[in-house]
Amino acid sequence: MITTTNLTKKYGEHTALNQLNLKVNEGEIYCLLGANGAGKTTTINLLLGFVSPTSGSAHISQLNVHENTKATKKFLAYIPENLMLYPTLTAVENLDYFSGIAGKKLSTALLKDFLEEAGLQSEAFDKRISTFSKGMRQKVGIAIAMAKEAKVLLLDEPTSGLDPKASNEFGMLLRKLRNKGVATLMATHDLFRAKEVGTRVGIMKDGQLKQEFNVENISLNELELFYLDTMNLKEASL
Amino acid sequence: MISKTFLKETKELFREGRVRIAFLIVLLLLGVAVWISVEQYQNTNEQYAAAKNAEREVWNNQGEKNPHSAAHYGTYAFKPKYPLSLVDQGVDKYTGTSIFLEAHKRNEAQFSAAADQTGLARFGDLTPDFILLFIIPLLIILLGYNSFTKEREMGTLTLLKSQGISSFKWLMGKWSALFLPIFTITAVVFLLAGVLLTNLKDFGVFKWNSLLVMFLVYVAYYIIFINMVLLVSSLVKKSGISLVVSLSIWILACLAVPKAASNIAESKHPYPTRQEFAANVLEDKKKGVDGHNPWSKEAKMLEEQVLKEYGVDSLHQLPFNFSAYRMQKGEEHEAEVYFKHYNYLKEQYVNQSRVYRGLAAISPYLPTRFLSMAIASTDYDTHWDFADAAETYRIATQKFLNDNTAQNTKYGERGYKASADFWKKLPAFKYDPPELTSIIDRNSSNIGILGVWLLASFTVLFFTSKIV
Repeated sequence: MITTTNLTKKYGEHTALNQLNLKVNEGEIYCLLGANGAGKTTTINLLLGFVSPTSGSAHISQLNVHENTKATKKFLAYIPENLMLYPTLTAVENLDYFSGIAGKKLSTALLKDFLEEAGLQSEAFDKRISTFSKGMRQKVGIAIAMAKEAKVLLLDEPTSGLDPKASNEFGMLLRKLRNKGVATLMATHDLFRAKEVGTRVGIMKDGQLKQEFNVENISLNELELFYLDTMNLKEASL
Repeated sequence: MISKTFLKETKELFREGRVRIAFLIVLLLLGVAVWISVEQYQNTNEQYAAAKNAEREVWNNQGEKNPHSAAHYGTYAFKPKYPLSLVDQGVDKYTGTSIFLEAHKRNEAQFSAAADQTGLARFGDLTPDFILLFIIPLLIILLGYNSFTKEREMGTLTLLKSQGISSFKWLMGKWSALFLPIFTITAVVFLLAGVLLTNLKDFGVFKWNSLLVMFLVYVAYYIIFINMVLLVSSLVKKSGISLVVSLSIWILACLAVPKAASNIAESKHPYPTRQEFAANVLEDKKKGVDGHNPWSKEAKMLEEQVLKEYGVDSLHQLPFNFSAYRMQKGEEHEAEVYFKHYNYLKEQYVNQSRVYRGLAAISPYLPTRFLSMAIASTDYDTHWDFADAAETYRIATQKFLNDNTAQNTKYGERGYKASADFWKKLPAFKYDPPELTSIIDRNSSNIGILGVWLLASFTVLFFTSKIV
């Protein structure tokens, strides 16, 4: 579903992303780990078509993102670190609007079903977003992805700032989507969550994908060691 | 997507306290302004009808009197208040309400409403046109300045972009959400004005089609503002900057340019001072026949010419009273002098209007203002029309009176008095303002400029706004 081939992005002299080759299949959750400035967000922005690559290509459902930006958006859902919705509108109204933008005409009952499936409590459906916590907003974000029937989910540090309970609930939602065949690419700092929900993990540094693991074949401790090693932080941690 | 965005924007707008308060204030101001205007309109019309009838009564009941004495006694031409002045009072307040019509002299309109007011009048009046021309564009700015910037500031733009939003449809959704409340307020005000006017006694020449055209002019004006405000909001990054830029445009278009236009027009094409004007008229008057001076060179030449024309040796042999004939010739000469000098004033007015039209390229306020006043029959063109009609009536009145003396007396005969029922034979002064078609025709350049503004603002909005 997601393929990048030698994907490179330079800002002047600075190379934000260097020759990234990545593949995320249906029903897979790929977690991109890395420090700030490693190139995770640049990768997501390139896949969203927000920025153009300097060289290489990115494909979503076999469509070149930069040649078919509009068409690839049909398959995509995106949840940034701080999902911002319209504060004076309710959860249902926000979901209705964002799914409407994506061309979906859904009844109120169906919209509520999506919110429920995304784990939002029914009392919150008709409350204004301004009263929502970050975790609740992320659930609306998942509901937007579900309503859109997105085949690809791009997440940029979605669990950052969430309490453990909310983070765990979010992980469960991602697994639910994975079971539906959604290909997920999640940029995160959270090794624990990556190990918990991910199927594969990649470690990035200085715009390059340094290591890649199958989550089943690695423990959390090993993952942490590899991560620290890649970041040259192993000695410091010891 | 357009309807979804429209609904979303409308919900957001009306859930914000500032918008509800702004709407309430504007509606309240409009209600008060319309109510004040209705009161003024009724009072003025009652005064107009009473003064017109009283003056005619006085004229009709002069009794036996010498016609030239009656000519000097004079009468008044009263300017009616037109129904649409309820919406736009234009220059009515400054132009005067009546013209004194007398022998030998063309007078200017007098008794303007502004002259009856104290210095506090400088603060201006709360009128519907003030709200329509100044306050509603401010409301548009208040509602629309952050249309796009808020999406950037709140962070919703990223999510919208990821959902594959269409720039055009999104823009149209936002445009219609801003347009509809403004359109509704304007429609309600015009509908209210129409209903009030049709229910007023003696509502004169009110026509719904004039009101409709005026409504369309204002709608076009608001669309231009909506386009400008949305364009600014789509091009700048912060709401604060968008607000400042939009307000600057409003200040430039509605306050600075009209005042600058007035100064430029006056300095490029100045009117003569009152003293200069009077002196020039007097000088030209001296070059022709003076009805009261039989000894002047011009009077003697006229005498010779008439004697020759009728083939007689003495003025006594003429079939009419030569003194009255000379009086009429004097009137005709004076009328020509006034025509020449007033025509110069009109030319200056036309030249000044041209300056205004030139500056309308940087202010949609100017063509809107001129069109609005023209449709309401409260502009200078209509005032000139009225003054010309009054002058035509004055000249006809003098001829009516002089002819009576000329036909009923002999040269040298003194003490003639017309009968008491003679005065009623003079038709009453009647003035109808120009028809809508003629107003549109006369203001085609203003319509054109407004049309160009409309088209250009849409084009720039759709082709240069970089939203998504």
